[in-house]
Amino acid sequence: MNNNPLHRLGALAAALLGVLFFFAIVGVFGLRLAIAGLAVFVLGAVVLYVAFPTAGAES
Amino acid sequence: MKLDPSILARIQFAFTVSFHIIFPTMSIGLASFLAVTEALWLKTKKPVYLQIYKFWLNIFAMGFGIGVVTGIVLSFEFGLGFARFAQMAGPAIGPLIALEVLTAFFLEAGFLGIMLFGLHRVGPKLHFFATCMVAIGTLISASWILSANSWMQTPAGVAIQDGHVTVVSWLHVLVNPSWLHRLPHMLTAAYLTAAFMVAGVGAWYLLKGKHQQFARTTLGLGTAFAAVLIAGQVFIGDILYGTMLEHQPSKMQAAEGFWEKQSQSPAPYYWFIVPDQDNQRNRFELGIPYLGSIWLTHSLDGRVQGLKNTPRDLQPRMGMVFYAFRIMYALAMVMFAIGVASLWLRFRGKLFTSRWFLWILAFMTPSGIIATLAGWYVAETGRQPWVIYGVLKTVDAVSPVPARALLSTLIAFVCVYGVFITAFLVFAARIIRRGPAEASAHAEASGSVKNAFRPYVLDSPDRLANSPITQRS
Repeated sequence: MNNNPLHRLGALAAALLGVLFFFAIVGVFGLRLAIAGLAVFVLGAVVLYVAFPTAGAES
Repeated sequence: MKLDPSILARIQFAFTVSFHIIFPTMSIGLASFLAVTEALWLKTKKPVYLQIYKFWLNIFAMGFGIGVVTGIVLSFEFGLGFARFAQMAGPAIGPLIALEVLTAFFLEAGFLGIMLFGLHRVGPKLHFFATCMVAIGTLISASWILSANSWMQTPAGVAIQDGHVTVVSWLHVLVNPSWLHRLPHMLTAAYLTAAFMVAGVGAWYLLKGKHQQFARTTLGLGTAFAAVLIAGQVFIGDILYGTMLEHQPSKMQAAEGFWEKQSQSPAPYYWFIVPDQDNQRNRFELGIPYLGSIWLTHSLDGRVQGLKNTPRDLQPRMGMVFYAFRIMYALAMVMFAIGVASLWLRFRGKLFTSRWFLWILAFMTPSGIIATLAGWYVAETGRQPWVIYGVLKTVDAVSPVPARALLSTLIAFVCVYGVFITAFLVFAARIIRRGPAEASAHAEASGSVKNAFRPYVLDSPDRLANSPITQRS
């Protein structure tokens, strides 16, 4: 576990963002926001994969 | 003790189909994963992708074999346990199952040989084509079977004449109201199963400090797929929930654990109940306030429909449906949390070094299978007391066979399937313990079919030694 408060804050923000995305995707805010939430989540994930590749990573 | 044939027939089918579904779920997911890794190998020429391919090919082959054998049993069980169902619904269900064999199974079985034994005989590109054909075959197979099962959930395109189903519109039989949502839900479940399996095994190697590059690549791929797929699955699941609420309200009423026609406002979201079906109430309930209204009605004070909206004799057993749904949904939430955590750790560059995360991934290795099984229990127990919803009751579908015949075959199935699962687990554990074999960046054959049949290719011990199967033995 990391003791850096900034990193802890980042982890908390990521967790809250995750909860928000979950609620949006299950349709709590309506179908349009569910589709938008899904699109943003997937797009964000793909951007992260491209920016921080791990495939074929050396040890 | 007097045994009830209808109960025994149901136990037998539940046991054999639960056992069966584990293996197609794995093979549908792994077939596509293998196609992706082989494509990456062809594109990048990095040996690690071939290593991953060869490693998972062995587990895929075992799962595929058991899936085929246990699938054949199900067709026979229509006659053994549910002859009246087969008699009535045969004109609609029979052609779908026959088409599954003709269009999908033949495709898979035909190219499986090349996939298993052909890498150094037909060359990499043709071999990749074979892998893609097997992956596509599993998709087509799932489409036919889901169409048949969805027709039982939401029958359409038929007329009932003299106790038999007559097809009026094949299009409506195939594209019945729930198929369009259930098919992507099942396919995504299969891909998630594979994603968590490969990520879990990669995490295990990292925890043990073994096969670092293989483990990192596998874990990286597995978590990447898992994060995207679980978001899609949650979305599809919610759409499917709405569809089933419209077509099979009793299933969703049972899944939420409310009895009264309208729940209290605001409705809690129950995680634990002790249902009393005879008195139509819960003896005990434990839930999160407001969450039921928020999730199920998308408002802060909405009321949820309870099972009393369905006449008693047409109600499914609440306990089975409720807990199957909760297991599936809870696992989906954990998977979503893992997906988010994997993205955060990837951003921080700690995806491979956070031991707590690796342990969670290792424990989640079979999570896809458990969630899929739970999902199928929701679908099948929630449809009760109907076998074809609104058309034929399960008790009326059972074969006129003595209970002892069903009991003896059930015991036989338990024994034989016990051997199957033991063998699968032992060999899978052995493959995982042994780890991936070294792999070169290039296959040796020319890529032509003609080359594959040349005697020096067929007989060469060196080339045979490089085949994925012989490397393991």
